[in-house]
Amino acid sequence: MKGKALYAVIVAAILGAWGAVPPGPAEARISLEKCTLCHGKPEFRKILVDGKIQELFVTADSLKGSVHEKKTCVDCHFDISEIPHRERPRRVNCTHCHYKGNAEGAPQSDGYLAYFDSVHGKAIARGNAKAPLCQDCHGSHSILKAKNEGALVSQANVAETCGHCHIQIYAQYKTSIHGVAVAKGIKEAPSCTGCHGEHKIYGHTDPKSTVYATHVAEQCSKCHGSVSIMSKFGIETEQVETYKESFHGVASQFGSRTVANCASCHGTHDIRPAADPLSSVNARNVPQTCGKCHPGANPNFAVGKMHIDAKKKDAGIVYYVASFFKYLTIGTMLALIFHIALDMYGRTKRLRGEK
Amino acid sequence: MSLDEKKGLSKENMDKEIDAAVSAETGGLDPARAEEIREKIRQRVRAEMEREERIRTAAERRAEERRLREERRKEKHHEEGETFERFNRNFRFQHMVMFSSVIILVITGMPIKFPDFILSRFFINLWGGINNSTLVHRIGALMLVYFMVHHLVYSIFSRDGRRDFVLLIPMPKDLRDAVQNIRYFLGKAKEKPKFGRFSYIEKFDYWAVYWGCIIMIGSGAFLWGESIVLKYLPKFALDIAHEMHSDEALLATLAIVVWHFYNVHFNPDRFPGTLMWWHGRISEHEIKEEHPLEYEELMARRAKQAAEVTQK
Repeated sequence: MKGKALYAVIVAAILGAWGAVPPGPAEARISLEKCTLCHGKPEFRKILVDGKIQELFVTADSLKGSVHEKKTCVDCHFDISEIPHRERPRRVNCTHCHYKGNAEGAPQSDGYLAYFDSVHGKAIARGNAKAPLCQDCHGSHSILKAKNEGALVSQANVAETCGHCHIQIYAQYKTSIHGVAVAKGIKEAPSCTGCHGEHKIYGHTDPKSTVYATHVAEQCSKCHGSVSIMSKFGIETEQVETYKESFHGVASQFGSRTVANCASCHGTHDIRPAADPLSSVNARNVPQTCGKCHPGANPNFAVGKMHIDAKKKDAGIVYYVASFFKYLTIGTMLALIFHIALDMYGRTKRLRGEK
Repeated sequence: MSLDEKKGLSKENMDKEIDAAVSAETGGLDPARAEEIREKIRQRVRAEMEREERIRTAAERRAEERRLREERRKEKHHEEGETFERFNRNFRFQHMVMFSSVIILVITGMPIKFPDFILSRFFINLWGGINNSTLVHRIGALMLVYFMVHHLVYSIFSRDGRRDFVLLIPMPKDLRDAVQNIRYFLGKAKEKPKFGRFSYIEKFDYWAVYWGCIIMIGSGAFLWGESIVLKYLPKFALDIAHEMHSDEALLATLAIVVWHFYNVHFNPDRFPGTLMWWHGRISEHEIKEEHPLEYEELMARRAKQAAEVTQK
């Protein structure tokens, strides 16, 4: 009798424990319902000190379709312990779940570590309230994966997302050749992150930056040096090679920060094809562009091909000069080496006593 | 009396003395025993003397070797006999300015032509980066320009300079010399061609430097003053200057490293090089070997002067 009673107690305890562990959907709904009591009203908003209106309207559908579909309000706003909350909830801290080795099953990444080192992360650390946190780029309730076209950080949308803060740069970029190409839906064209990187964004004066003066050429050549990408658009890849061989390219390779890199002439966010009259490399604008470093630059700077490859016939007179020196060098050196070889041959023969 | 004879005598005397002493000592002993002791002593003394002999001959051999080495060295450097001044102080100074500037220009310029070469980064960083190395390159360039101007002035206004310039002009004889020299290398000709003050080899070196200086200084000036050049000339003029500067640099460097280095350094007669660039003197032996016509001329002039003196 005693044994049976004990058995029943143990079974009941196990069943009870099992039933209690997973948070039932019913419970989540309760939490959501509590929040939407206030936040579910469309007119629920707040006028901030600076006169801006902050919309506080959130419904049960706000998370629908996002990667956090199955989460509830307090999963992220975990500092709310009573409803209605008296304090303004703190900004959501994504690293609460998104760290390597987390138990939540959140995508495991150390991307946030790179973020803390980035120009944005450092601005936050310095106390700049305007600097972006995760949610400023990835969105708050409607977070989607980057490869999803609707995501704020998708290739098509990321420029606009960055443009929320970097509005002037966004305006320049939107009409540049890269911005236009992205708007057309060309997948290969770079948006902001294509050049600046994603989490590891640094200021362009930081040597770690992908757009640091001595890294620009390498960054551009990732696409512009690839025949498989450029051939799709009928763009030549020889620009990369000719730049590397030019004095500008060599000096940049040896660490000069003042020498011209791709962006110095072609622009950064406002890159346009040379035929565009607004382009910094349009023949009419070349004197001004070159004049940034070479004071007194005049239309002569634009006479002749810019990216010149002396090994190719279309380099014109430079090709013939290069060819002349090539054959002069080969001819002279062959004659000199021949003379030296004969001298050595004669010496060897005389040394051996053969006459 | 030779050393060996002396040695033989002293050895005999010593043997006698030893024998006498030994006999005195061993007089009372029985003859077999005495002989045994004598033999032992003799052997010991002989061993001692042989050791001394070995030491002596070794010292003599070393001295002889030293003398031979000295002779060989003298022969190699042709220090025996009279020496003649081949290059005057002015000319030696020009050469020093030129080779210092060329070394500077090559080690700061070649890394720009071959940035991927393993030593390029080293030679750029040697000066503290590309900005400094381009400055050093310009200092080298100024040295070369100075050398060129100095040499032109020297060739026009100095008597030695005028004489050398005239003697350096290529002549039909140089072509004949070259053909004969090659035939001599091949064993077809019995004798080396007789060179004057400057052989065709040296003339080639000289005119290669002339050509190189004109191209390098001309195109280098274009590249240095690119803003001024572009005021008057289109960009392709600068591209041509760049191409010429880069290509001629390689040709000049190769010519120096292959041709000049072989003729004055790696050539077995000269290896590892002579000090003629420093003291400017050539030995009688060498001038007879390398520049027989010049030697003959020198001797003829000397004879003439001597004759004039005696006539007076």
